[in-house]
Amino acid sequence: MTKSTASITTTTKKDPSQFGQAIRNNLQTYALVLAMIAIWILFYFQTDGIYLSPQNFSNLFRQMTITAIMSVGMVLVIVAGHIDLSVGKLAGYVSVIVAYFQAYFWADHLPDAPALLTTALSVLVGLLVGTLYGVVQGWIIAYLRVPSFITTLGSMWILNGLILIATVGKTIPANQPLFSIIAQDYIPKTTGWIIAGIVAVVLFVSMFMGRQRKHKYGITLAPMWQDLLKTTLMAGFVFGYVYYVNVYRGIQNPVMILIIIVVIFSYIANNTRLGRYTYAIGGNREAARLSGINIRGNTFTIFVLMGFLCGVSGVVMASYVGYGTIAAGGGYELFAIAACILGGTSTLGGVGTIFGAMIGSLIITSLTNGLQIMNVPSAWQYVISGAVLVFAVAADMAMKKTK
Amino acid sequence: MEKDVILEFNNVTKKFPGITALDNITFSIRRGEIHGICGENGAGKSTLMKILAGVYPWGTYDGQILHNGQDLKLRSIHQAVGEGIAIVYQELTLVPSITVGENIYLGKEPVKAGIINWDKLYADSQDVLEKYHLDVKARSLVRHLGVGKMQMTEIAKALSENAKVLILDEPTSALSEAETDQLMEILRGLKKHGVTCIYISHKLEEFFKITDSITVLRDGKMIITEPTKGLSVEALVKHMVGREMKERFPKGNRKPGEVILEVEDLHAQNPLDSNDEIIRGVSFNLRRGEILGIAGLMGSGRTELVMTLFGEYGKITQGKIKMEGREIKIKSSNQAMLYGISMVPEDRKLHGLVAIQSILRNISLANLGRFSSWFRINDSAELKESTYYAKSISIKAPNLHAMAESLSGGNQQKVVIAKWLMSQPKVLIMDDPTRGIDVGTKYEIYKIMNDLAEKGIAIIMISSDLQEVLGMSDRIMVMCENQSVRTLNRSEATQEKIMALATGTESQPVLER
Ligand SMILES: Nc1ncnc2c1ncn2[C@@H]1O[C@H](COP(=O)(O)OP(=O)(O)OP(=O)(O)O)[C@@H](O)[C@H]1O
Ligand SMILES: [Mg+2]
Repeated sequence: MTKSTASITTTTKKDPSQFGQAIRNNLQTYALVLAMIAIWILFYFQTDGIYLSPQNFSNLFRQMTITAIMSVGMVLVIVAGHIDLSVGKLAGYVSVIVAYFQAYFWADHLPDAPALLTTALSVLVGLLVGTLYGVVQGWIIAYLRVPSFITTLGSMWILNGLILIATVGKTIPANQPLFSIIAQDYIPKTTGWIIAGIVAVVLFVSMFMGRQRKHKYGITLAPMWQDLLKTTLMAGFVFGYVYYVNVYRGIQNPVMILIIIVVIFSYIANNTRLGRYTYAIGGNREAARLSGINIRGNTFTIFVLMGFLCGVSGVVMASYVGYGTIAAGGGYELFAIAACILGGTSTLGGVGTIFGAMIGSLIITSLTNGLQIMNVPSAWQYVISGAVLVFAVAADMAMKKTK
Repeated sequence: MEKDVILEFNNVTKKFPGITALDNITFSIRRGEIHGICGENGAGKSTLMKILAGVYPWGTYDGQILHNGQDLKLRSIHQAVGEGIAIVYQELTLVPSITVGENIYLGKEPVKAGIINWDKLYADSQDVLEKYHLDVKARSLVRHLGVGKMQMTEIAKALSENAKVLILDEPTSALSEAETDQLMEILRGLKKHGVTCIYISHKLEEFFKITDSITVLRDGKMIITEPTKGLSVEALVKHMVGREMKERFPKGNRKPGEVILEVEDLHAQNPLDSNDEIIRGVSFNLRRGEILGIAGLMGSGRTELVMTLFGEYGKITQGKIKMEGREIKIKSSNQAMLYGISMVPEDRKLHGLVAIQSILRNISLANLGRFSSWFRINDSAELKESTYYAKSISIKAPNLHAMAESLSGGNQQKVVIAKWLMSQPKVLIMDDPTRGIDVGTKYEIYKIMNDLAEKGIAIIMISSDLQEVLGMSDRIMVMCENQSVRTLNRSEATQEKIMALATGTESQPVLER
């Protein structure tokens, strides 16, 4: 055909509009990052700088981890067109179980085992409980086709009951020194720098390898300076972060856990079939099905992963709080969901990024933290947080409409 | 301004990021005429109509539109309706879960004391349907209608507005010939009542049956506006694609080989309703390197048949499917693909595209297994191969990262085709593959089909366009009332013979293998 100007020319010719396209597609994320920075600046002045002091900065990130870990999985769940209301209680249940093992079980059954072993086993038990619950829940939703809203709502009640049974209404201590390290300790400063160095090297190496691979397939490369700039910026962020938390006590252990999870799950979302299929199912279920995608299997896997993440979150929660209680994790599911929506995940499915949800989570935590420092009465904290959430999503909708 | 001009476009320009969809369009439409607009996929036809219907409001485009000599500055679709401008969009916009009547009066339900007057709503909508002889019941659920009937409902919806200007964007792409004729009758009737009609189609013959004048667009530019009388199909094609096209169907050099797929006396029922037998005895065989056309009227069970073969619809109650000599049971599309069967579905919006994803992701969706282990997708290989297929049927877009929903209708169809071409099947089922595609690109698709067949791939093609079936098939299976009536060789097939078989007017249907 004689196709003039605009036919696909990706491989052969340099395409200036592609970069613009990438920016347009991510406009929302940038706006969100800007909003977050605006909030930080606001609180910085309202609190005479305390807000961004090394100590509070460090606490801010630590505070977000428990719900942020849930948000990572929640993004995939919502993108696939589902919802999970049970995450808060599931993580809470895991935290109670882990506390129980830490406080009583090992003492009764393995009295002579070294603390390192029992702590590791406790963590394992926590992850296992979360994952198994995910398996059951995923099976009910994917194969028995009970809507996820109902299944997970039921789960929420069931887990609430299970927590009461496990705790017998009492608080279980989980403040053993070794166990507390998980969420309360910091990575030694030198190790922190080494990690930052390794990350930077990995970033640059993978950038060059990516370029090479693209070149091999004859795909036009973005100009070298663009990739270099991007990678340098990212490495700069890593060093900057490590520098600032090192001024206080170093990289926070739970934040490290969160980062590892975010990296792994972002990879799953973008670079594996599981991830791609999830977005396709959420975007058009019928088209996905007719493309030969195993929708049930995919849905099942997503809920298993969600369960696993609740396991992680529960372990961190137990260590962070230092005990397991009947109230553990109550309401956290709503924070996790809010973080996703704020971060651009569409409630209709098919759209959303883990990075966005992390920013959303950070914004929510930044608000709560800032209002606490300013000694705003907790009643008003609720009012303000709720209003900001609704306003932010409204602004986002308005932006989309004019696009 | 002349008195008999109802609409006048003056230098209308519309830009999307990375693309100029309309470039200084200037022409006018006379009152009471039927004005055809034609052009290749992505030429800007739908965009121009959306501007006229208020979808893209005043201020989002440059230039001026005069309506009865007045500057038309639409702020909304609602306002366009108020001005007497009604549109039937290219993509169906009905709500599937409610009835035909509710759809027709959606947003303007008759109310009495604040409560919807259902009796009036159904009576009125039935009136509209009957007035224009549309064979649809006001109380049927839209979900249960075929594409053709849905199209009729859309038209009724637009007509119920008492429009002065009626825009029809490819109304016949899903209609059979009989239904098309019926629509033409309706349009002639409307013309008598002084309604001005703008008519878009890729079936060029239709313009000569119905329009008074024709405007041709190419790459967003106005090429000509002329009375239909002085034009011919060949001239139109030349204006559209910018060069002459000698033939509509490329000559293939196909040599059908051994039988690959055999279907014996297949019966199947609707999985949701065991009283509804959707296939009542279909038998045929398919050879490697052959194109088997399936002809039949709307609702003759063609789509149901191929959906069932693909494992996605009917529950098989009787009969056998054999692939390469072995009997197979296909329970899902996933399984069908493992056997080497692929299908381009009929409804691109519902079954083909993930509209909110990029062209790239749509094309590679069914083929990711080829580029990936469980742990990684080789996105470079993905991009390279997708680009190859996108180019081979010349998808018009700024690049492969553009959203599928931002493409013109025909280009969306091309994305779906590219996706299934890429799956390199043994048997390729194509359900109305050239629906909404321009003549030039149709030719490209036919060439690809020939290539595939020459490589030994067996193709099943459903089409409502009899000329296409006759032009492309080695053999033609005619279906009537959910049965296969007879399979004709190309040499013995004629339009009349097929129609006679399809309508069941030929005596003694003979089942033939
Ligand atoms: N919302 C949008 N965003 C970006 N580009 C768009 C959008 N809508 C249309 N376009 C582009 O504008 C051009 C004209 O599209 P349009 O839908 O008017 O074509 P068309 O003539 O109706 O084609 P077809 O015959 O395939 O329906 C195309 O290149 C298309 O990609
Ligand atoms: Mg169009």
